[in-house]
Amino acid sequence: MSEALLEVKSLKVQFPVEAGPLTRSKDFVRAVDDVSFSIEPGETVGLVGESGCGKTTLGRAVIRLVEPTAGQVIFEGQDLARLKGAALRAQRRKFQMIFQDPYASLNPRARVENIIGEALDIHHLAPNSTARRQRVESLLKDVGLDPSHAHRYPHEFSGGQRQRIGIARALAVEPKLIVCDEPVSALDVSVQAQIVNLLRDLQQEHGIAYLFVAHDLAVVRHISRRILVMYLGRIVETGEARAVCQSPRHPYTQALISAVPVVDPNSKRQRIILAGDVPSPIHPPAGCPFHPRCPVAEARCKTEVPALRETAPGRRVACHLAK
Amino acid sequence: MPWLEIRNLQIHFGRAAKALRAVDGVSLSLEPGKALCLVGESGSGKSVTALSIARLLTSPPAVYAGGEILLEGRDVLHMRAAELRQIRGGLVSYVFQEPGASLNPVFRIGNQIKEALQLHRPEVATDAEVIRLLRLVGIPAPEARLKSYPHELSGGMQQRVMIAMALAPQPKLLVADEPTTALDVTIQAQIIELLVQLRQQLGMAILLITHNLGIVGDIADDVAVMYAGQIVERGPAQELLQRPLHPYTQALMNSVPRLDSETERLSTISGSVPRLGAFPSGCRFHPRCSIARSDCSQAAPPLVEMEPRRWVRCPYWTSPA
Repeated sequence: MSEALLEVKSLKVQFPVEAGPLTRSKDFVRAVDDVSFSIEPGETVGLVGESGCGKTTLGRAVIRLVEPTAGQVIFEGQDLARLKGAALRAQRRKFQMIFQDPYASLNPRARVENIIGEALDIHHLAPNSTARRQRVESLLKDVGLDPSHAHRYPHEFSGGQRQRIGIARALAVEPKLIVCDEPVSALDVSVQAQIVNLLRDLQQEHGIAYLFVAHDLAVVRHISRRILVMYLGRIVETGEARAVCQSPRHPYTQALISAVPVVDPNSKRQRIILAGDVPSPIHPPAGCPFHPRCPVAEARCKTEVPALRETAPGRRVACHLAK
Repeated sequence: MPWLEIRNLQIHFGRAAKALRAVDGVSLSLEPGKALCLVGESGSGKSVTALSIARLLTSPPAVYAGGEILLEGRDVLHMRAAELRQIRGGLVSYVFQEPGASLNPVFRIGNQIKEALQLHRPEVATDAEVIRLLRLVGIPAPEARLKSYPHELSGGMQQRVMIAMALAPQPKLLVADEPTTALDVTIQAQIIELLVQLRQQLGMAILLITHNLGIVGDIADDVAVMYAGQIVERGPAQELLQRPLHPYTQALMNSVPRLDSETERLSTISGSVPRLGAFPSGCRFHPRCSIARSDCSQAAPPLVEMEPRRWVRCPYWTSPA
């Protein structure tokens, strides 16, 4: 195994619940609860889970957009969780983010050249205005947009094109890691495929690593080498993408996979429909956090928290019953 | 005669020469208790078609420029305001994409559902009936939920409340416009399952609008695929999904990511959906079509019944390999 680009160790993120203006809050939302994983250079790791499972918070905590409560985020040997000021800013160039909603993540009053150029300005990557313009144009070309559209405003582009602008902005500083937070969820199916393919091509060209956050396992499966399945702030299963999708071991992963919409009307699969919603992360259920929705839960699942244990090489599952 | 029949519907935005033709000659029919899926990407005109059934489009700017929408034989486009009020909610109910935006945030959900009852079935506008509806859509502990505000519910629960509200007047047609797009895949499966159950239980017809061909097979009897304001393919759901004939339908199906496939690259449709008012000449799909010929940019192909019950708007259609 090669040297990891990013290593996350026992990361926790907690948000205090507002109690009142004068009382101190006693409750915490445990958005990310003791999560560890690593990403190698040029690798894509998929992070899957339902709304509220903490996947977005984890993605943001990794690049210090939210402050971790405990744990380490080691990026190229430095603990990002402890960096400050100029040292942190210098590191920030190496990781970027692509957001879910291409309508909300681009400044509507800024021209595309300035949306992308701002990243260059902040990190002093363009010595003069000609270099800046040339760099913006080549970035637009890289993401499949017409370089002559650099002077346009975001509203003149479709959703898929806007997402390409967001990608160009992330690429501008030549990052080593991009956190993609549901980058295709807001797009039409045909455009989704274009963006996924574009991300793949850019990865091959520039050797960027991705942390690809999404709720749709089918999309994640296509782009990721490894998958992390998250539930209520914890990782419940990890492994090679193909292995996880072909033979999911955790009952939650099995349910997620059975929920993926399938076009083929001949597929005779049994759909596992999970009852209820994700429980509140303020007072997570005792024992295994998944037991209230689990179709195979036993008595001990209500009391003992299952550890994330290795069931096969490269495969880890947090379930008492998994083999 | 079908229960709902749309004939050659034309909907424009704006007037005269500058009019944008959002829906151009759409014809559909739906029998009682059946489910029809209208599939298409953003901007294909599927939502505009759906909203027109109860004449919900604000006019102006929308102009019902031609065609007929027959509900039980009566033309919605020529109804008076009082008749329309009976139709809206009474015969035809709607469920929209974002439940969080469709519910009023400052009223308790019990009262919001009761309002729908007061309008259409005032004799049963009671807590008991609201509780029955909430139970029908699978909301746990409905007695306790009566007094909840929308923000206290999850997205999936909010969508169930929207469905309960839509069912309150006992409609004969439920129009669901992308009801699961804003939801997680697991919750999406729950809501589709709920719609399938309700249809069997209550015998109402369902018109489901979606861009995701993956959920079509679970619910639809018939499918119509829309592109740039026109229907490009129509047919029985199982046949159409097994053997799509129009190149657009084929491409759309291929671009859905699959869990079981080993291909590295997803197949895509080049380019993007044309903008309203800038539809290409001839066949509207030809700039993105993989089998387009030179004359595709000249003549606009009609929607023709190529095989029994299989309508295709493409003279060069082929069976998929």
